[in-house]
Amino acid sequence: MVDPMVNQIEILMPLMGEGINEATLVKWLKKPGDKVSKSEPLLEVSTDKVDTEIPAPADGVLVATLAKEGDVVLINTIIGHISADGSAAVAMAAAPTGTRAITPITPITPKTAAIRLTVPPAASANTAVRSSPLVRKIARDLNVNLGYVPGSGLHGRITKIDLDGYVASGAHHRQAAALSGNGPAPGQFSAAPPMEALGKSARVQTQIINGRECLDKNPVRREKMTKMRRLIAEHMVESVRVSPHVTTVFEVDLHKIFEIREKHRTAFEAREGFKLTYTPFFIHAAVEAIKRHPVVNVSLDGDDILWKEDINVGCAVALANGLIVPVIKKAQDLNLTATARRLNDLVSRARTKKLMPEDVQGGSFSITNPGGFGSLTSNPIINQPQVAILGIGAVVKRPVVIDDAITIRPVMLISLTFDHRIVDGEGGANYLATLKQILENYSELPL
Amino acid sequence: MAAENSFDLVVIGSGPGGYVGAIRAAQLGMKVALVEKAPHLGGTCLNWGCIPTKALLESAKTYDKLKHLEELGFNAGNPTYDWGRIMGRKDGIVDSQRKGLRFLMKKNKIEVFDGIGRLAGPKNINAKVNITGADGKVTTIETKKVLLATGSRVRQLPFAKSNGKTILSSDDVLSITEVPKTMAVIGGGVVGIEFASLFGRFGTLVTVIEVAPQILPSEDDEAVGELVKHLKKQNITFEIGTKVTAIQDNGGKSASVTLEGGKPREFERVLVSVGREAVTNDIGLELVGVKTERGFVVTDSHYKTNVDWIYAIGDILATPALAHTASAEAMHAVESLAGKNPTLLNYQANPNAIYCYPEIASIGMTEQTLKAKKIDYKASKFPFAPMAKAKIENATEGFIKILYEPKYREILGVHIIGARATELIAEFALGKMLETTLDEIGQTIHPHPTMSETIMEAAHAALGHAIHM
Repeated sequence: MVDPMVNQIEILMPLMGEGINEATLVKWLKKPGDKVSKSEPLLEVSTDKVDTEIPAPADGVLVATLAKEGDVVLINTIIGHISADGSAAVAMAAAPTGTRAITPITPITPKTAAIRLTVPPAASANTAVRSSPLVRKIARDLNVNLGYVPGSGLHGRITKIDLDGYVASGAHHRQAAALSGNGPAPGQFSAAPPMEALGKSARVQTQIINGRECLDKNPVRREKMTKMRRLIAEHMVESVRVSPHVTTVFEVDLHKIFEIREKHRTAFEAREGFKLTYTPFFIHAAVEAIKRHPVVNVSLDGDDILWKEDINVGCAVALANGLIVPVIKKAQDLNLTATARRLNDLVSRARTKKLMPEDVQGGSFSITNPGGFGSLTSNPIINQPQVAILGIGAVVKRPVVIDDAITIRPVMLISLTFDHRIVDGEGGANYLATLKQILENYSELPL
Repeated sequence: MAAENSFDLVVIGSGPGGYVGAIRAAQLGMKVALVEKAPHLGGTCLNWGCIPTKALLESAKTYDKLKHLEELGFNAGNPTYDWGRIMGRKDGIVDSQRKGLRFLMKKNKIEVFDGIGRLAGPKNINAKVNITGADGKVTTIETKKVLLATGSRVRQLPFAKSNGKTILSSDDVLSITEVPKTMAVIGGGVVGIEFASLFGRFGTLVTVIEVAPQILPSEDDEAVGELVKHLKKQNITFEIGTKVTAIQDNGGKSASVTLEGGKPREFERVLVSVGREAVTNDIGLELVGVKTERGFVVTDSHYKTNVDWIYAIGDILATPALAHTASAEAMHAVESLAGKNPTLLNYQANPNAIYCYPEIASIGMTEQTLKAKKIDYKASKFPFAPMAKAKIENATEGFIKILYEPKYREILGVHIIGARATELIAEFALGKMLETTLDEIGQTIHPHPTMSETIMEAAHAALGHAIHM
């Protein structure tokens, strides 16, 4: 009897992001019996993070769907089978006899989901994983957290073939697509720490009074955090633990930028199909300033400083119940218009939940814009494993003194919050001084 | 059927694949039967292969050393040898190992059946194996699983079957009663080269005839090139890229070999060493429908054939026909059929060992393969000559050549030629298996003075800082 599984390819629920253990199967785009070709969209999945289409892993015929639409499915669970040669699934009912341990399909209820979340997937730290010197070197290069890679060697040791397969599957991109928009830095900020640990340190004691749960005699309504909220919480706690935060603030006169924007906005909107806002100016100028002060674009790995070739700017976007940080990649190569286009695309996709995991990964520096909500300045938390975040305050018209005369000018506070392990007060101030200089002397648009 | 003739596993063939598989199965608690058609356990390896040939080659090496005793400060005169006693020592070693195997079978409660084992029952559970004894009597035993380990036999030239006197197979040559004055070795593979190096050092004028453009075609060109230089000093000449068209016995005294486009040349003995063929006929494969391809049994990566209860390992597969490979495959197959989940074998870490002098040993890919496959690589070669221990051992020939991937310095292939190559390769087999890069090999402290230091030096050379050159 030929092994019935030989020509069956498993469809696994892919890893959608750091710390995300499950995803909702929104829709099968193919029915059992349909022909599928490799890379053709096969199903839609949703996490609190991103909604995306999952391509078929191989050419063949979809012979079985093991998870229903609406099911919440653990990652790496088999959700269906594709038959490579189109042969019908005689042995579908039989348990797979593959060589590797496979989590059986377990659609999970919200209750178990909550428990599941407290358990990090596989191993959460690189140190707990068996692998080889070669694998560790490659993983370090590719920024793959080995905690997620299934090992086929002795006692689950990860071999090069395992890592190659994992990387080829694209899983490491999904792994890296965490809320922070950054893959975990090896040995420093790997998978999300168990929520348990964070939760325990921050528990409060409530009492039941007259049948109501109360905190300090004040009645409360208890509600579970969403997954996104939990992830934000974890990342914020972790970042404050890892990095000594210092913030420095400058005031910038924006009249030059105002003039340029006013001069070009109509033509720009007619040409590009979207409004020219101030934010692309700030991003573009911030990137120019990073070129002169690259220390704000590094990461730390133990005692080592990792100088990054590309400036990938993460731009915090507020969502209904949280935030997301899509990344403008290789921003150093973009002029103002290209920056504006990239930003417009990412922001509109972020708001419609159309971001792909790779859109939120790989950031090397972040910008947050609380000015949009009227805040004059803020004290943001660094997006690990980055070392600096630029805060943009609200633009307000104020009387300012220029050449000993009082004039009304649009001004704005800019702040740089930096990791004092690597950037000192002088370095932070120098960066903002450069940024101020660029913004106040912004030349004609390279449109 | 009596319960005593019912087994969990029947192993057919008792070579280094079969007997290792049988012992591993017994360790895992199975009731095991081992079927062997030859009078002794141990298969080709113990009876006509690895063990007797290496015993003789050790004598050749010793004889060679004796001839160079002057260099070590001895006045030993002209050493002489007694071929009968050399053969006797070889037989003694083989006999002792055979007895050891019988003991191991007894110790592990493995029932040994003498006779030809054939698959007989197509049923899934409690399938049958027939054993035909020397007297023609057939015994049928029942079993849940079968491990086929029937191995290989020497391949004959269709136009020149061995006659056991002047035209010899590698089996025949192991009972040769005296060292011939001249010998033709047809086939420059591992077996041919080892025998050429054996008889050449005992004084036979050996002519190696190889149809391919190089002897040992699966070994690295550079290592083979180095070897040929040394073999030429051992009374060996080569006819490379030459086809044999006829071999004629001359009245049991000598044999004549005719090369394509040439005249017959007379040799006292002719050794035909043109490879081996898998023993897959007449073992019942067709009866139960075991799939074969070009004479080899086809299995999955856990050595299970297309028939659920039949596993196969060793020379009957298309994997390298080596004793240690068969043993490893057998362990894996048995663990797998016992429901364990053993790690797949890494054939790139599977060592080759050739016991001519100097020895050649290798793992992974050759430089010519890397070139042909257009794989990015770098080579680091370090000779034994500058190493103190090589001088102390009077064995400065050869080198260690490491082929590696430039970025992470992953080992792609290692080719050692030298006095202790077959021992030294084990470090690389482990290194390759554990995916060690040259960085770790260079960092590993090696004992001084040893030949193994050369491994570290070759790694240092790859990293750009060889110390002793």
